[in-house]
Amino acid sequence: MASQPMTGQSFFVLTALADGPRHGYGIVGEVTELSQGRVRLKIGSLYGVLERLSAEGLIEPDREEAHDGRLRRYYRLTQDGRRALAEEAELRASTARVVRARLSVTGTEATG
Amino acid sequence: MSGSLERRYRRVLGLLPGWYRKQWEEDMVAAFLDSWLTGDPEADAYITKAAGPSPAEVASVTALAVRLYLGGAGAPGRHFAWGQAVRNSVLAVMLVRAVGGLDAFVGAVRAHNFGTWLPVLEKAQATKAHVVQAADSSPAVAGHLVNTPAVLPGGIWPTIFYTDAVGCAWIVVFLALVLGSYRAARVIAVLAITPALVQLLSAQLTGNPAPQLVHWAFWILFDVVPVVAMIAFHRDAPPAEGRCWLLAVPASYVLVAVPLLALLETGNSAWLPDFSGLCCILVTLACLAHTPRAWSRQAPGSGVWSLTLTLLAAVAGLYRVITLSEYLHNPHRIAVSLAELLIMLAAAALVAPDAVRTETNTPAPPRYPRAMAA
Repeated sequence: MASQPMTGQSFFVLTALADGPRHGYGIVGEVTELSQGRVRLKIGSLYGVLERLSAEGLIEPDREEAHDGRLRRYYRLTQDGRRALAEEAELRASTARVVRARLSVTGTEATG
Repeated sequence: MSGSLERRYRRVLGLLPGWYRKQWEEDMVAAFLDSWLTGDPEADAYITKAAGPSPAEVASVTALAVRLYLGGAGAPGRHFAWGQAVRNSVLAVMLVRAVGGLDAFVGAVRAHNFGTWLPVLEKAQATKAHVVQAADSSPAVAGHLVNTPAVLPGGIWPTIFYTDAVGCAWIVVFLALVLGSYRAARVIAVLAITPALVQLLSAQLTGNPAPQLVHWAFWILFDVVPVVAMIAFHRDAPPAEGRCWLLAVPASYVLVAVPLLALLETGNSAWLPDFSGLCCILVTLACLAHTPRAWSRQAPGSGVWSLTLTLLAAVAGLYRVITLSEYLHNPHRIAVSLAELLIMLAAAALVAPDAVRTETNTPAPPRYPRAMAA
């Protein structure tokens, strides 16, 4: 059974946690900013992603903090999560390099 | 402060399974309230009174609930069993539709003067006669695996196009599901059920001829319900056993469609079951074939198939009951239909206990290979 490719949402959530633990709504805001507004996670979708990533062992709870009478749970990347994110980033970067190379070739032909 | 807003959101979260809520509900509520409340007491008091979960928010929780209830890899056994049973049921209905499509395609090729797509007039007339004969014998259509409208308002050409194009679409939908292209399957399936809806609505509005209850029932039970149930084919759904399902297409064609066609061609159409009867017979045979596994209590995955067959028996039984209304003036057909229904229910009763047991003893496979390697 081949491993499943990482979805865009999972990629952004992992990226949001790459520089430190964040709570649920903090992740939503960070994902919106990282994706320049293209990905706006609803809470139901976010916790679907968090549950998957947690079951895969890519994230784990970090701590809980009280805020305005509510308990915020923070999440952090695990070592596996860091590795998976690095692999995915490399895959996407190499794909982007290929795309740019092909575009530059066709662009040269088109202008030449 | 956040009382009524929080209450409204918790009501939406009630859609989620208990085990999931136990683990995630408080966190979800906190994140939801964070997304609304500003920290300004006056503004928050107003928001708490006036605001609520948006339709998009409700949709996201609903989608999550469906994914959890119709679970895939990594889900609790009960939800995995239901997920697998729904996925198998959808594949089984799509298999019937695909074989029906193959049947229609073969019929069209036979009528189209082999090798060229331009039909000979006589062949088209023969097709028309065949279609009308089939439609006349029963509203649920004997002789064809799946009922199609008799002759569409535009005449024989729209009918042939409908039968060919929609029939082929079901073959593609089946293949897409088996091969894991779930999104493509959903899109093509929605396109495939639309012409029948247009046809039914147009007939309903013009009243020429007004569609009967069985036509709507067929569209709902064999078009809409399977397409909606395709939601069970989500990211966590384990891939279908491709080779078995693919082999089932030619096997079903040879074992089911060919004998039916032979009966029709040899003038023994009196022996042909209508589509509803055919469904009952197929489910009965499947239940009987599965009974030894269901009773052994040791065969892996038998419970999921018992649940699948129970679901299929429910659909076939409901359609059989609805189609009885077509035979109110034909006591013989009523007797035959009731016999089909009762025999199927008796066969389903053989596997039902195993279906009930499966809710507690079906282990789901681990979610991802990456998780195992970790």
